Amino acid sequence: MNKNLRTTNSNFIDQTSRISFKFDGKTLYGFKGDTLASALLANDIHLVGRSFKYHRPRGIMTCGSEEPNAIVQLGNDLSMTEPNTRATEIELYEGLEATSQNCWPSVNFDIGAINNFLSPFLPAAFYYKTFMWPASFWKKYEYFIRKSAGLGKSPTKPDKDIYDHRYLHCDVLIVGGGISGIIAAKIAAQNNLNTVLLDDKNNLGGTTIFQDNECFKINNSYSNEWLKKEIESLNSFKNLTIKKRTTLAAYHSYNYLLARENLTDHLSLDEKKNKIRQRLWKIRAKKVIIASGAMERPLIFNNNDRPGIILSTSIKKYIDYYGVKCGQKISLFTNNDTAYETAISLNKSGVSVNSVIDIRDKSNSAIVKEAEKLGIKIYWKHTVVNTSGYKRINSIELMKLSDDGTAVVENKTKEECDCLGISGGWTPRVHLFTQSGGKLKFIDKDNIFLPDKSVSEQISIGSCNGDFELDDVIKNSIKSIKNFLNINSSDYENLKINCSKETDKKNIWLLPSNKPLGKTKPFLDFQNDSTAKDVKLALREGFKSIEHVKRYTTTGMGTDQGKLSNMHALGIIAETAEVKMSELGTTTFRPPYTPLTFGAIVGRNVGEFFDITRRTPIHEWHVEQKAEFENVGQWKRAWYYPKSKETMYEAVQRESKAARDSAGILDASTLGKIDIQGSDASEFLNRVYTNAWSKLEIGKCRYGLMLNEDGMVYDDGVTTRLGENHYIMTTTTGGAANVLSKLEDYLQTEWPELDVYLTSVTDNYATVSICGPNSKKILSKVIPDLDLSDKEFPHMSFKNALINNIKCRVMRISFTGEHSYEINIQSNYGKSLWEKCIEAGNEFNITPYGTEAMHLLRAEKGFIIAGQDTDGTMTPVDLQMDWIISKKKYDFIGKRSLYRSDTIREDRKQLVGLLTDDPKEVLEEGAQIVAEAKKKPVEMLGHVTSSYFSPNLNKSIALAVVVNGKKLKGQKMFVPMENKTINVTITDTVFLDKENKRLNA
Amino acid sequence: MLNYNSPINDTKKYPEIEISEVEPIIKLNLRGKNRDFITKVGKVLSIIPPTDPNTSSGNDNLSILWLGPDEWMVYANDKNALNDRGILEDKLFNEISKVKLGSVTNVTDHLVMINIRGNKVFELLSTGCPFNFNDFMNSKGATTQTLLNHVDIIIHNKNVNDLNLFVRRSFSNHLWSWINDSASRL
Repeated sequence: MNKNLRTTNSNFIDQTSRISFKFDGKTLYGFKGDTLASALLANDIHLVGRSFKYHRPRGIMTCGSEEPNAIVQLGNDLSMTEPNTRATEIELYEGLEATSQNCWPSVNFDIGAINNFLSPFLPAAFYYKTFMWPASFWKKYEYFIRKSAGLGKSPTKPDKDIYDHRYLHCDVLIVGGGISGIIAAKIAAQNNLNTVLLDDKNNLGGTTIFQDNECFKINNSYSNEWLKKEIESLNSFKNLTIKKRTTLAAYHSYNYLLARENLTDHLSLDEKKNKIRQRLWKIRAKKVIIASGAMERPLIFNNNDRPGIILSTSIKKYIDYYGVKCGQKISLFTNNDTAYETAISLNKSGVSVNSVIDIRDKSNSAIVKEAEKLGIKIYWKHTVVNTSGYKRINSIELMKLSDDGTAVVENKTKEECDCLGISGGWTPRVHLFTQSGGKLKFIDKDNIFLPDKSVSEQISIGSCNGDFELDDVIKNSIKSIKNFLNINSSDYENLKINCSKETDKKNIWLLPSNKPLGKTKPFLDFQNDSTAKDVKLALREGFKSIEHVKRYTTTGMGTDQGKLSNMHALGIIAETAEVKMSELGTTTFRPPYTPLTFGAIVGRNVGEFFDITRRTPIHEWHVEQKAEFENVGQWKRAWYYPKSKETMYEAVQRESKAARDSAGILDASTLGKIDIQGSDASEFLNRVYTNAWSKLEIGKCRYGLMLNEDGMVYDDGVTTRLGENHYIMTTTTGGAANVLSKLEDYLQTEWPELDVYLTSVTDNYATVSICGPNSKKILSKVIPDLDLSDKEFPHMSFKNALINNIKCRVMRISFTGEHSYEINIQSNYGKSLWEKCIEAGNEFNITPYGTEAMHLLRAEKGFIIAGQDTDGTMTPVDLQMDWIISKKKYDFIGKRSLYRSDTIREDRKQLVGLLTDDPKEVLEEGAQIVAEAKKKPVEMLGHVTSSYFSPNLNKSIALAVVVNGKKLKGQKMFVPMENKTINVTITDTVFLDKENKRLNA
Repeated sequence: MLNYNSPINDTKKYPEIEISEVEPIIKLNLRGKNRDFITKVGKVLSIIPPTDPNTSSGNDNLSILWLGPDEWMVYANDKNALNDRGILEDKLFNEISKVKLGSVTNVTDHLVMINIRGNKVFELLSTGCPFNFNDFMNSKGATTQTLLNHVDIIIHNKNVNDLNLFVRRSFSNHLWSWINDSASRL
């Protein structure tokens, strides 16, 4: 540290705790309480990075989140490194390592700086204009452009840090812990409201907390002393939660807000181990008070971007708050009173202030008079026309302004300095207000946009609402808060406030120079190297909308989203295009306010918790048997059970064959199950399925097809009549939740007259399905008391039974075409029942089969899978299931649509079977089907929906949808693939046991 | 003999938090719309089903949770409370469902009951549940159907910092892991 640059009068820095850190490989020292920026300045380091386009040397320009230049790469661990962090917001910790960005080989000597000399040839939209032709060259350009694009380096390994999410509900949320936010928090808390106060800094108080000036007093105390006591008084409120180091990232509709809390970013590497790094707060607030303050504006003049040019209030914060001098010979350049506060603070700390250059003609405010009294030299009606110093400013040139402010007159004056403080007035932070949907209004007097109409329960107070004088901030805030919270009085009724009042205003968006604009570099957007002349060029080239100019020139883009540049860009556009600022509007303020880490967004939803998983009651058995699993919706379903070194194909062939030859067993627990009760249950089923249900006998099962309102197949399944008014419906695995919601919706909104009640019981039952010629023998071993004769227990019927005194329901239904039973038992007995069935089936080589074999077996029988063979465009007629549509029923969901002109067309895509000429050739699912192999353009008639090699038929089989397919049976078709064309024949959809003999085998 | 396999069968303790699966006890879903239904349930169970949203009623043996304007859940307060689960279900089914007053459905194994107690109960829930517990935490007997880590759950606020959470069985292992991970980081 450079001792000459540290003062000892800061209350916010612990000068007894020295912290070592590295910047660009060099070990440096700071104190506890420093930011990386203040520590660098204390080490006399201003040059921090290089600009994006021209690689110009850039330094620390601000002290907050609006920083465009001092963005650094933090850390060098490949999984933890973070690019584009603002040095002004990084709290210093032991072991911190930061490096400059956008420079090679070093920030001091950067090869890319050649761009600065080529800048006359690199106007706005240079890349757009240059690299668009010849079009074929783009691939070559792209390689180099992508290499040079972007700022910083992303981590290449998984993030080792832990992140977290929390929900929070409160009566009042206050965003910003400056003086108005503190007042709001106290008033809300005193009135018993559940209050939350957020501030992005580690200390509350905003800029007032270091406003140590005779001109600013509250109740005869210095404003900072008064505020300090107010902050201390907040600790007594149990209904007030204060979250420091917490940035409001997004303000959504209905007062839903997201805030990021930094929990360990300020701790040393050892201290942060195994702790949550950042937490994303998801906040629902009844009322929101925005007290986000205002940002100081820069001034736009030639070469206004050099290291050492800093916003004047930031210089004040560095000296008064951090105890750091930004330079030894400081000049200030302003259009308002703010810089005079800085001048007085510097003077008080013993820093030589060269002069204050003020573009105004005069000012009689108290603060200016105090500066004059201290002997600080003031150049009225002057402007800076140029600055010098490549890596650090070393001098400025100033000239007198003409009366109308559009030109400079008289001779240049040169002034040596090592730091230039600039102040172009203040921009209220209205970002959050607009994110919530609020509309802005433009105030000509102050050249600012202010909150106008809000759509949420919210107010803006303090300087973000356009109050810049201390007395206005306090009095107007109190009035607004009382009104907003319906409160009659507060502790702050009779405050005596003394402050300097600004008497004169003058604003020039682009300050004149003694050189033509084309020969100067007045930077607007410091991060993207966009200048005032770039904006003017865009206007000359026909861009009028601010949104277009932004994208053409990149003004307002980048990691800082133009926090400092947007207002000047708007001002210059308005002046040049001769339109009013209010008509021009602003670009859109989108969340997040400052960049969020992906970790904070994702929280703990990584690894095991990336997505929710559902398990069947028999899951552990499948795991023990080393089954491979398939994701079906959120379910983990056993896909196949490979033995020793079996491939998936081999396992599926074995399982499928075993199921037909002897016995197979399937975990069907995932099927949706809905318990239906009520006196109108039969009528209800009549309305939701296409077929008739009234005559279904108790104890019988029936397959049903459910349509959407548009007549397209939505879901299917077997429903069983358990009693007079009692059914159990099964749905597809993936469709269960949607079907229940849809049916409940119909009952509540369309058919409230029906006496029907639905209850999901999907998870209540484990379902064990046993199929194959030996299934009856196995079941008779498991439930010896049950009469399984075809007469007593025919296909499509159901029986209640007891297994070891546990109730279960047995359905004789089949999805494989084999003689099959499904046993439904309380889930907690599911695994044990499964094991019992396996044990009973051992002598019959009972083979567990997974979903893949299940798909193959049903395809052999031509049974559809809703969602695989249908895609929301298939009617039952398209599926050749005309038989399932009742002609007698008055109505059912989708009936009307089945008779639309489009749905009765004969040449719709229809479900067919496909056989390949080569029985060993298995088609790819999704492959297209054409009638003529060589015709161009290719006329695609349909596609393959299911395809397998059937071990039971010893040939390849497939289901497909083909235009006019029903009439094309026996026709030859072609399936063109990348390297070959496969000849196929359209067939019936049923490949095996057309007579259904096996069902009763 | 069929073995009984509850999905979690575990208890975990963390600073100011204890989480345990309560061994499955009878849970019945009741649905009905008219006054006769309410009267009948009241008569059979000796507890009137609550009609105020998100509340519950109960006695030493049973709790009835309001789930919707025509939907309630009855559950036993401990596994010894009812000697014969079937009797209660059959009685309700015969006196309600069979006589067309409403529906009675056994959801004992459909839902897993997890008891969470300790001073940090609501802090734990705030890590993944969007529900506003500010008033709920002070209302003994309050119930809600909400989401925890995107999973549907029912919560019954039994006592101060002591609640029962019901989750569908298929989600229970995942949610159990998630709750434990969350509790370990409070």
